[in-house]
Amino acid sequence: MPSEQRLHPATLIFDLLRHLRAFAVPAVLVIFGMARSSGGPAGMFGRLPDGWEVWLLLLFVPATLVSIFRYVTFRLSYHERELVIRSGFIFRNERHIPFSRIQNVDAVQNFLHRLLGVVEVRVETGGGQEEEARLSVLPLSALDEIRSRVFGGGTHAIEEAPPQHPTLLHLPPRELVLFGFLENKGMVLIAAAVGVAWQADVLDFAFDRFFGGVAGREVARGVARRFEEGAITFVQIGEALAAVLVFLVVIRMISMLWAFIRLYDFRLTRVGEDLRTEYGLITRVAATVPIRRVQSITIRTSLLHRWLDRSAVRVATAGGAGAKNKGQKNDRVREWLAPLIRNSALPHLLHQVLPGFDITTIDWQPVHPRAFRRAVKPSLFVAIILSVASATVLGWSAIWVLIGLTAWSVFIQKKYVAHLGWAESEEVVMMKSGWIWRQVTLARVNKIQAVTMSESPFDRRAAMARVKVDTAGAPDLFSRIDIPYLDRGVAGHLADRLAVAAANTAFRW
Amino acid sequence: MSDPDSVADGQYHSLDPRVIPLQKIGGSIFIGVLGTGSFIPLVFKLLGKDEPLFEGIVLLVLWLIAVLLGLWLAQAWPPKAYRFTSYKVDDQGMEIRRGVYFRVVINVPRSRVQHIDVSQGPIERRYGLGTLVIYTAGTEHAKVELEGLAHGRAMLVREHLLPSGVSDAV
Repeated sequence: MPSEQRLHPATLIFDLLRHLRAFAVPAVLVIFGMARSSGGPAGMFGRLPDGWEVWLLLLFVPATLVSIFRYVTFRLSYHERELVIRSGFIFRNERHIPFSRIQNVDAVQNFLHRLLGVVEVRVETGGGQEEEARLSVLPLSALDEIRSRVFGGGTHAIEEAPPQHPTLLHLPPRELVLFGFLENKGMVLIAAAVGVAWQADVLDFAFDRFFGGVAGREVARGVARRFEEGAITFVQIGEALAAVLVFLVVIRMISMLWAFIRLYDFRLTRVGEDLRTEYGLITRVAATVPIRRVQSITIRTSLLHRWLDRSAVRVATAGGAGAKNKGQKNDRVREWLAPLIRNSALPHLLHQVLPGFDITTIDWQPVHPRAFRRAVKPSLFVAIILSVASATVLGWSAIWVLIGLTAWSVFIQKKYVAHLGWAESEEVVMMKSGWIWRQVTLARVNKIQAVTMSESPFDRRAAMARVKVDTAGAPDLFSRIDIPYLDRGVAGHLADRLAVAAANTAFRW
Repeated sequence: MSDPDSVADGQYHSLDPRVIPLQKIGGSIFIGVLGTGSFIPLVFKLLGKDEPLFEGIVLLVLWLIAVLLGLWLAQAWPPKAYRFTSYKVDDQGMEIRRGVYFRVVINVPRSRVQHIDVSQGPIERRYGLGTLVIYTAGTEHAKVELEGLAHGRAMLVREHLLPSGVSDAV
């Protein structure tokens, strides 16, 4: 009988902290008057009595008891070919996860984890939207054991630390900051911060203090008066623009800081047949991507990327379907293969994942020569509708709207169509698209799931078709093989070839 | 028991013709439910004390027109869709063609089938039809459904497409 292990005792500490955050903090905020209660006549949940959050504190006790219970009944054991997790006393659950089905084993540590020498392990299989097992928390030695059993073909002994782990990519702080600058997540973070502040009612409080008071009203009235009198000088406009500029710069700087913290010391190494990414300053993440389980790769560049001769590489594995629930904290753990990599180092990296594939010698096929005419029709349609709609407001000046929208549509579609391309080799089918933000998606032929060819009424008139290749875990629309405006015959043959190639290769996770 | 591989003849087949009355009934039920649901607020508008009667009558007429249009569509659409739907099963996998205006050809290789359901609603049972649901590991086509196969035939297709017990990965 394989020995059974328990979670690390520190689990209780982490659960305790989590319950504190959920139950105690809202109550404390209300008690000390720092946030308005969401009950009572003034609050969102009007039916609840004012100050109801205080009663949440009572929930703290049973929640802790449940945590203790869960910790005591949790058992983890390694059988010959599977991982077995048992938990629960009243509602008993026994989960068997075959090693051969495990896609990823990820490890997350925040600074408290590191202090206590523990790690939160997440095990993901191919199906399902989220991880199959979140083991919070295990000692570090258990992580190595899981990894060696899962990826080492089920051997019982823990492997000796292999001598060489070739580092494929290391991002020093300068690169991280550059990455933050290019990605510009600043706005997203500010929006998130605003959201959190709103929830805690802290924002209301600050708003009242700054804008509710006499000072705020005066300022608003002054600005409104000046608008009416038309006495806005250039200086004032300049000041406003400068403020906007400062705001934009601040956003970029926030993004750079965030990138630095989130991806600190980003290291991509090859460990045997896996790629391992490690990163993070406060929360340290070690994600493992088994090379043979990579479903598709997307290389993305913006204009700035190309000026700096760099690219961003993302990878999709089957377990990554967690991207569908954006609210989960575990999404995006494994997304980046190379957040920022020099183009000169790109072929080497791709060679690791797709041996024999050479990105510099791709024979890109264009789409149908008359694709532009076909592509521009829907946009013109929309332009006409918008112009007619605006004519009700602008009258005859809507002509300018029409001209403007038409010119814009023509320009955009021409560029878009010119930059579309596809190619296939024995092992990989690929597609490129986009002219300012460009992406190249590579999908392994032996990972192709279903192949679709579709024709809209517009397509049928132009004798064109669209070919779509479905893979497991494709994260978003831009990372899929979705080739529009192909000649119908070409599309048919491509779909057939891909279907046959997929059928002839057994799908191995 | 017929040999499952007899189903895999590589020919394009149409669906079982009984799917047309099945879909007509299904469509009519759907319109019926929608119509009833939208009728209730209409009743309030008609019978309400302060509501102007003229508005109510106009809305009633519009509602009637919408329901009649919906019912007509529910009757006219299935035969048209039937003509454009076909499937082919062979050693490589299954190919499904459907769509009247927006046409699609979906190809699921046999080696990519994860599991298959054959399901029957109550009306399907009455007509002896079933819906074949093929599950793959894909994202967009994680589920590929084909409604309107004779139940027995659907079971044979399922037998043929299911992986024959070879393990997925070592």
